[in-house]
Amino acid sequence: MTETKTYPVATLEEYGYKDYSKLQKPMKVLRTVLFILVFIMLYLSIIVIAIQSLNSSVRTSEFLSVTFRWYPNIFNEEDLMTAIRNTFIVSFIATSIATIAGTFFAVGVYSLEKKKRQSLMLMNNVPMLNADIVTGFSLMLMFRLLMPIFPNIFGLFTLVMAHLFFTFPYVVLSVMPKLKETDPNLMDAALDLGVKPYKALIKVVIPAIKAGIFSGMLLALTMSIDDFVISYFNTGAGFDNLSIWIYGVVGRRNLTPSVYAFSTLLTLFTLAGLMVYTFIQHSNKKGKREQK
Amino acid sequence: MNKVFKALAVPYQIWLYILVFIPLLAMVGIAISNYDSSVLLNQINVDLSHWSILFQSQNVIAFRNSVVFAVLTTIICAVLGYFTAYYIFQSKFKNKFIILTIVILPMWSNLILRVDALNNVFSKNNIISSIFGFSPFGNITGTGLAILIGLVFTYLPFMILPVYTALEKIDYALQEAALDLGLTPFKKFWKVIFPLSLKGVVTGSIMVFLPTLAGFAIPKILGKGNFLFIGNVIENKLLSSTIFYNHGSLLAVVILVFILGSILLLTRFDKEGETLL
Repeated sequence: MTETKTYPVATLEEYGYKDYSKLQKPMKVLRTVLFILVFIMLYLSIIVIAIQSLNSSVRTSEFLSVTFRWYPNIFNEEDLMTAIRNTFIVSFIATSIATIAGTFFAVGVYSLEKKKRQSLMLMNNVPMLNADIVTGFSLMLMFRLLMPIFPNIFGLFTLVMAHLFFTFPYVVLSVMPKLKETDPNLMDAALDLGVKPYKALIKVVIPAIKAGIFSGMLLALTMSIDDFVISYFNTGAGFDNLSIWIYGVVGRRNLTPSVYAFSTLLTLFTLAGLMVYTFIQHSNKKGKREQK
Repeated sequence: MNKVFKALAVPYQIWLYILVFIPLLAMVGIAISNYDSSVLLNQINVDLSHWSILFQSQNVIAFRNSVVFAVLTTIICAVLGYFTAYYIFQSKFKNKFIILTIVILPMWSNLILRVDALNNVFSKNNIISSIFGFSPFGNITGTGLAILIGLVFTYLPFMILPVYTALEKIDYALQEAALDLGLTPFKKFWKVIFPLSLKGVVTGSIMVFLPTLAGFAIPKILGKGNFLFIGNVIENKLLSSTIFYNHGSLLAVVILVFILGSILLLTRFDKEGETLL
């Protein structure tokens, strides 16, 4: 029997391994604390708005008792209702046009040669990157210079034009990646089967990029509903959307609590909508997996 | 894609040319003219005498305020936003969509209303102190701190989203490779993940920096007029009885210079604007 010589086993430290596991626990605590802090940062204002919508006092400095009367009162506040109506009219028109036309524009841009496409995409990003105040101010100047020809131009028309200006890029930008993902053979197959190009676009390509169109629409709507600066410069004839109206009233310090009620309702509806959406998506995925 | 559809790009090209270039050209043109609301359109002349407003102490201070607050907000948002995006990215939650929803949801409420709500919390007697008996911020309304907090709270989501998008695009195999090759988790982050996510940080920084630099509603509501930003100066030019379009244009052109710089920076990192969404 040969004798086996035993060598000392090298430890991990000798390989240069440093044990960081002790650090893991404080890091975890730090992470959780920071995350809660960020959550508070994002939601403090929403929570305050919700509390104020339930406050029976008109003043925001004190909380008297819980009341729901500001909610039905939304319909009695004429100015608020007008502002809400204006916001929805502008956002609805702008989002619809931006989504439909923007999708076709994106297809057009995608079929260009690479160089042309890149330069057009750079221009597409200008409205997104440009500061709102510059966009708003310069558009206002252009409309202002058109005033000798169209004296009553400011109002719904200028507002929709301005909103279209900054919603198109979002639609184009969210449709584009989906177009890149679609199989190029899809289109050729449709054409080989004797379908006219534009019919193929509507019947084959559009269904394939549905998700991109939907997210583009959602983004456009979000931006349009919440816009303040660009709308502020481009409205006229008293056509105020919600942001402009609130900005005007905040200065005078007599904001009706019904605004808080409306905002809270909107947040709750959005939350409910998103939850239903996730639920449907989740059950769809499950269904597909079971089919396989 | 079929070449037939090239025609679809033409109307968009025309639209962009009209609404990107003409307003900007008009603005630059008016910045070097004497155009205000008392001047008729056929009396517009080239005039540079109002350029002296650039050196008025009030406007210099406004520029300084804008830049200082924008830089501070961007740095704070970058640190907090990166951390949050990384946390979401690393989290073991299956449905990341829900977490992102949590980040986006506050943006659905009206911005002005949210800032006003913050303003209420920042003042001495507020709804929080009325319920809980203590005021978390004390009485800071009208101070620079209030503006800074308001800006960070408002623009943080604009940093989280692009950073998260950039992080999501990193191939997981790279992380495995880094660990297999013996990097510690921290080194893996610093040498592999962070450089690859820098694109998102640049986009996010621009998304935070520009609206902060050019904004006027937040400093006006939270600063109570103690801090003039350049946006406020432009707004005031339009609210005065004689509307000085040329002054406003000139100041907006200066902001535009900042923006062009940022866009150039962005195109060096992100060619087709992939992380913008």
